[in-house]
Amino acid sequence: MRRRWTPSRIIAYILLVGYAALSLVPFVWAFLVSVTPMSYVNEKGERVGVDIMQWPPKINIFKWPPRVFGAPGTLSNYAKVFQVVPFARWTLNTILYAGLTTLGHLLFDTLGGYAFARLRFPGKNLIFTLFLATMMIPMHVTVIPVYNLMVKYNLVNTYLGLFLPKLTGVFGLFLMRQFFLSIPTELEEAAMIDGAGFIRRFFQIVLPVSKPALAALAIYTFLGTWNDFFWPLLITSDKSMFTLTMGLNFFRTSYYTFWQLMMSATLLMTVPMLIVFLSFQRYFVESGAITGMKG
Amino acid sequence: MRRRVREALVGYLFSAPIIIAILAFTIVPVFQALYYSFTDYDALLQQKYNYIFNPEFSLQDYLVVLLDEEKPSLQELLERFDPVDFIEYTFGFELDNKQKEILKNYFLSEKLLKDFLDRKLNKDMRLKDFMARYLKTGKRYFTVYRPHIIGFENFKKLFKDRYFWIALKNSAVFSLVVTPIQTFLALILAIAANQKIRGVKFFKTTFFIPSITSSAAISMIFLLLYTKPGLINRLLGVFGIPPVDWLGNTKTALPSIMAMNIWTTAGYFMVTFLAGLQNIPSSIIEASEIDGAKGWTRFWKIILPLLKPQIIFVVTLGIIGTLQVFDQIYFLIRSQENITVSMYIYQNAFSYGKMGYASAIALIFFLIIFAVTFIQRKIMKEERFW
Repeated sequence: MRRRWTPSRIIAYILLVGYAALSLVPFVWAFLVSVTPMSYVNEKGERVGVDIMQWPPKINIFKWPPRVFGAPGTLSNYAKVFQVVPFARWTLNTILYAGLTTLGHLLFDTLGGYAFARLRFPGKNLIFTLFLATMMIPMHVTVIPVYNLMVKYNLVNTYLGLFLPKLTGVFGLFLMRQFFLSIPTELEEAAMIDGAGFIRRFFQIVLPVSKPALAALAIYTFLGTWNDFFWPLLITSDKSMFTLTMGLNFFRTSYYTFWQLMMSATLLMTVPMLIVFLSFQRYFVESGAITGMKG
Repeated sequence: MRRRVREALVGYLFSAPIIIAILAFTIVPVFQALYYSFTDYDALLQQKYNYIFNPEFSLQDYLVVLLDEEKPSLQELLERFDPVDFIEYTFGFELDNKQKEILKNYFLSEKLLKDFLDRKLNKDMRLKDFMARYLKTGKRYFTVYRPHIIGFENFKKLFKDRYFWIALKNSAVFSLVVTPIQTFLALILAIAANQKIRGVKFFKTTFFIPSITSSAAISMIFLLLYTKPGLINRLLGVFGIPPVDWLGNTKTALPSIMAMNIWTTAGYFMVTFLAGLQNIPSSIIEASEIDGAKGWTRFWKIILPLLKPQIIFVVTLGIIGTLQVFDQIYFLIRSQENITVSMYIYQNAFSYGKMGYASAIALIFFLIIFAVTFIQRKIMKEERFW
């Protein structure tokens, strides 16, 4: 393809490069702060503090270790995060929360999606319409009674209370149903003739060809739950039960904000999702284009 | 016949988990929220029957008797003792008429006071268990918290509540500013990326990153960028703009969060638009070129109408998302003048315990969101221009 430097394409490049920079600069800045020590020993042997608000920031990558904000760069803040707060525990909690929620959706949304796509049972259409209607209800309406339900069964501040209400959802059901409707029935019919029942047909014929849809559902759910803040805010009260989104606020007190530690923690929780995103980008953009992860 | 029955059974079996979950966590709660909104449901009182007290101390206090020093007669105490008065005095909440009636008729005052004089009551007890022991009947009125039905009081209060109107205005402004800007920005970026650009994949990936980052993490990063000596003020300082305390000032706090929100979502919606643009057959564009449609004309008359499904999708999601924005407000907003409705619902329900009132706000808010999306769909469908 021949590419000419027309004015419209030059403007397009300027726009795209500019917005790419705008998208990345906050993360780069957070990274710079995260590798800056709180204080360091200077050439005269004195321990001096570091001003991360200095302008312009003295950055020198030609020295070792590279200088950030005039101080020798360090990765020690990332280790310190694990020492000053129960960061490992929060990570574990978040993995459990996101992992179990994803498993729940993979199982229940898929089973339900298949039932609503393929099987005939009385009341199916009515239930499905009702399900679609519930998608319009904002969570603020239902969250108070659901929270009270958790209080009633002593599930506040427990893992069960954290993920039980999240294990399945209409959105995933809808996604899976659409997918099952799109695959041809011939395969299943052939298995039918061979005498396979509905359950075997589902697990042996349908599931193996559903990998792309399952991957999209899994990624979407895992990411959404990993980033979820509202439900952990309500249901966890003990520090040991916090998820990562809850924990970030811990580096901020009324008197002082530990910027270096806060940025280290922020990046520590963001980078795994970035890796997931980059490795499964294909599914992301596919599922993203038809769904929408946040407003 | 048997096959159809089996099919139905498997159908119910497969869909049972999600049916139960939706019933328990969405459908039943909607009706509960409706019920709450007509009551004075107070989460702080919900625990009132679990309050622990020491009956001996409380009785000494109430009867103005010190058992260690005097030994009053049972008769004397009975004359001074009124169960309704005692409970209200000790626990500081009002009993309803049914509870008063039960206490008047079925409370075993004599048994209680005898135990009191025999020094059997010097131990911690839950109010619930205390009632179970000293009520002849009707203890169920003292075990489960029942909010009072107060009709439309919550809704009346809402219309007079200054902070509700502030929150509603903030949510509306937030949505009205953020939705069009993020949609327009996403569209512009998508059109730019559709100009046979090298490295489209790189731009798509980069623009997508903010939207996969949690709102908590983004809030923390922008907390840093928005501080008075922070990066944003430094960059603006290059153009001679004096530093502003973006999040500390009630005038700039909400616009700062709006800008952050646009930054988070525009790249994500750009990917949606780009997919739509790439689906437009190049023959249509070429045909329009032959007809002499160029630049803006082509954009308005050809491209925009063909992107209608994506625009509806992005605007709908934008409205719903912006109206419900919570995390960023929770992390970054300090003044009550800058809160949004979702934050006000949260504050009422979970900070003040006013769950009845919070449910009323949530329902009104639901109706508003519903109406707005309904109107938006109507307009976008009937707009002639498309």
